[in-house]
Amino acid sequence: MKKNLLLVLFGISLIVFASIRIASSNTIYYYTTTEAIDNITEISSERIKLGGFVVSESVSKSSIDETNFEITDGNKTIKIVFDGFIPELFQDEMGVILDGYFENNIFYSDDMLVKHDNEYISEDGETYDVENYSK
Amino acid sequence: MMLYGPLLVWIAVSVFGPYDVTQGQYSKLLYVHVPTVWIAYLAYTLTFIYSLLYLFKKNPKYDSLALANAKSGVIFTASTLIAGSVWGKFTWGTWWVWGDARLNLTAILLLVYLGYLASRNFNNDLERTAKNSSFIGIFGVIQIPILHFSVIWWRSVHQQASILSQETVASGDAPMSSDILTTLLISVLLVTLVHVFLTKRFRINADKTWEDYLNPKTRAKI
Repeated sequence: MKKNLLLVLFGISLIVFASIRIASSNTIYYYTTTEAIDNITEISSERIKLGGFVVSESVSKSSIDETNFEITDGNKTIKIVFDGFIPELFQDEMGVILDGYFENNIFYSDDMLVKHDNEYISEDGETYDVENYSK
Repeated sequence: MMLYGPLLVWIAVSVFGPYDVTQGQYSKLLYVHVPTVWIAYLAYTLTFIYSLLYLFKKNPKYDSLALANAKSGVIFTASTLIAGSVWGKFTWGTWWVWGDARLNLTAILLLVYLGYLASRNFNNDLERTAKNSSFIGIFGVIQIPILHFSVIWWRSVHQQASILSQETVASGDAPMSSDILTTLLISVLLVTLVHVFLTKRFRINADKTWEDYLNPKTRAKI
């Protein structure tokens, strides 16, 4: 009885310890545009993932398979040259994560993920909030 | 019948429910992806509680309940992974993102509970099996808070929680249209019913295994 309890407590504390270690090791999947520009000398020699929101009306096609646009995190903006598969959801102000490299402060990428937010707005467009709900 | 009723209504609700205008029709997968993972959380939490109870009380009833919930949890974890993967394909542009903590942790969660189910067959001695499996049932639950907070701890592709987030709980204001929210909550209710009837069914099987084990006549045959 007591041995079981000790074993359970030991296991739980081990897993909690491990997850706190992992969580505090600051793992990131992509750089924001500000982080990328701040560290541009270190990361310009390697392939990185860069995330940000598509700047409104910045999207243009320069050739059949090359698309130019800009992304921003609200602070700093980076020019993108993209050739690759564009997910259907790609549009102005959408969050994207791009895989590629920097050359002369322009980011060249051929791999895009669209990162949508946690908002869900239906066709009737009525957002749920407390005042709205009580009417 | 009791099982298929809520299941069919849930499918109908998901198919005909409202969708997010930006994401389009595929955002209806919300009604599958979110409720199934919530009920998986619930199922594994119940497995945890019943595993603890079994370990300390040694009553076969608790082992059957732990097993039944784990089975249902595995079904719902697989459902949430499949629904999420399809949703990801049509919004993010990929079936799977290897660097995403939440995706990987969910896959590990499924593997751990598949391991739990596999551990049921490691040994013919049901009492020993139940005891060993209960350890997996107890440790396994720790993954749930890690999984739930993974989107806050690690920056990645998966969006933040819409309902079970600090902001929503604090403000009482979900970032969702009211019709989508209502449909989601109805789906959660229906999936809960599916879970209840599913575990009932699994429990009958588990109880039968215990009866056979404890009955000296059938035990001799084994």
